Amino acid sequence: MALTMDDRPTRKAPSAPALRRDKNRGRNRLYFIAPAAVFLAVFSFYPLLQLVRMSVSKVTSITLNSAWAFTGLENLRKGLEGEMPAALGRTAIFVVVVTVLGLVGGLAAAIALRGTGKWSTVLLALMVFVWALPPVVNGSVWKFLLGDAGLFNTVITGLGMDTVPFLYDQGWALMSVAFVNSWAVIPFNALVFRAAILTIPNEVFEAAQLDGARPWQEIKHIMMPAARPTLLVLTVLTVVYAFRSFDFIYVMTYGGPGTATNTLPFLGYIQAFVRYDFGLGAATSVVTVLLVLVMAVIYARSIRREESES
Amino acid sequence: MNKKAGPVNIAVRLLLTLMYGVPLLWIVLTSFKTSADVFSTQGAWLFRPTTAAYVNAFDGDLLLAMKQSLIIATSTTALVLLVAIPAAYGLARLGGWLTTIALGLLIVLQMVPQTASVIPMFQVFSSWGLLDQTLAVILADTALLIPFAVLLLRPFFRGVPIALEEAASIDGASIPRTFLSIVLPIARNGVATTGTLVFLLSWGEFLYSVNFFLTPGKYPLSALLAQQVSAFGIDWPGLMALAVITSVPILIVFMSTYKQLRDGLTVGAVK
Repeated sequence: MALTMDDRPTRKAPSAPALRRDKNRGRNRLYFIAPAAVFLAVFSFYPLLQLVRMSVSKVTSITLNSAWAFTGLENLRKGLEGEMPAALGRTAIFVVVVTVLGLVGGLAAAIALRGTGKWSTVLLALMVFVWALPPVVNGSVWKFLLGDAGLFNTVITGLGMDTVPFLYDQGWALMSVAFVNSWAVIPFNALVFRAAILTIPNEVFEAAQLDGARPWQEIKHIMMPAARPTLLVLTVLTVVYAFRSFDFIYVMTYGGPGTATNTLPFLGYIQAFVRYDFGLGAATSVVTVLLVLVMAVIYARSIRREESES
Repeated sequence: MNKKAGPVNIAVRLLLTLMYGVPLLWIVLTSFKTSADVFSTQGAWLFRPTTAAYVNAFDGDLLLAMKQSLIIATSTTALVLLVAIPAAYGLARLGGWLTTIALGLLIVLQMVPQTASVIPMFQVFSSWGLLDQTLAVILADTALLIPFAVLLLRPFFRGVPIALEEAASIDGASIPRTFLSIVLPIARNGVATTGTLVFLLSWGEFLYSVNFFLTPGKYPLSALLAQQVSAFGIDWPGLMALAVITSVPILIVFMSTYKQLRDGLTVGAVK
């Protein structure tokens, strides 16, 4: 979410004594970081190490706490010849749909809700509230709305058409979950875009109106350029959000029907906790972590670029 | 700014109102229906409201789940803030290669899917004998949210003028003293925003709870909801009543912190 790697010094060109003082100050503050470092070493990095060890071993629920037989890349081979490629493809589709809908929807909402009228204010608050609700609550209601007797199908059959199997059909299910995921991320993206649009001085709009600019021209030539610097960072954030999303899948389809909504992260979970093949699940998860490393590098670069542009 | 809303603008707002209003309305409406009303077309709007779903839901198990949710969310929030506040301040002031590496690692940790970390954590907690204990979920949630909290807090601490700290140190205040009495009060908005979000996130977290608790008897509300919604033959009014009960604390937190949340959320991303 909201984060920067802004490391520009807060003061320009310190003198030599000031520099020495800063260095001492820095060392004095090292112990501020120690608790977090220790905590994450024990509860985040050690488990990640265990994940890598599991991925190259034969681990089932029975052998979970005994010695693991080293099997090298066997788990990875099994995954790559099995469900991994298809899951990777589904993940790609899912991420693209969520990112495009999430960004376009977020920008549209930000532009529509930039004013200070009552409707805009209340609607924005409503959207942020929905965003703040637990995903399991939102997922439950969407499972209900998209069900056979749900609101959508009531309207569809009312119009004389056949019931649409939003969550039970191989083709529909992934799109339905992707739609709900983008619905859930739009409020946050709208907030970020809105903040960027609100930095535009009012005089710019006044000048544009004097020149006879139409509303869509204001959007294209004033608001979209203002939102551009945040676009890069927000795109990466939305991609990451979509990639690691599992809660809506868990609640709405549990990976099904069949394997239709098994994205790569969810596949690893199913392999470990439903099929009890912890080794295979770990191998799948190691691949997701490797993909995360790639995304983290892109993210760090996009932040630097944003800073050099602004 | 164009004050007059055009037809497109009104259409977008109308669509958004429907998209975000209807699901919310539906949760509440369904929770006051009977199962028969849920599956009849006429019952969509016209039905005799009943509190049966709430009466049925309210039993000892629910109170236990509420207690679990409260324990997990408050303990996680306290622990995360305790660890993340000093770390964020340290990283805001240190600079240099160490900070760059630390921030890089935090970003990576924040991006790792929870479905990946739950696998080794299950094994680690199992070997430490922590499974089926609330402490396991609190520790896992804390580890999950520390990177998020540090990265969100850091820009707030960077915003505190360094000259204020220098003035305090000239007056003879120690570094911890300066931090507690000068820096922390200035950055309190950031701390409040972060605390609120950590509370909301740990209140809704269910994957760790579902897997680390071996019996549903110890589930918090979110895990109970996740378990019931993936079961066969869902009792929709009961489920929606549970969803409402799970959301009420969120509504309370939200109402008291909305303005701050709206403005605080975007500090890091936009600055």
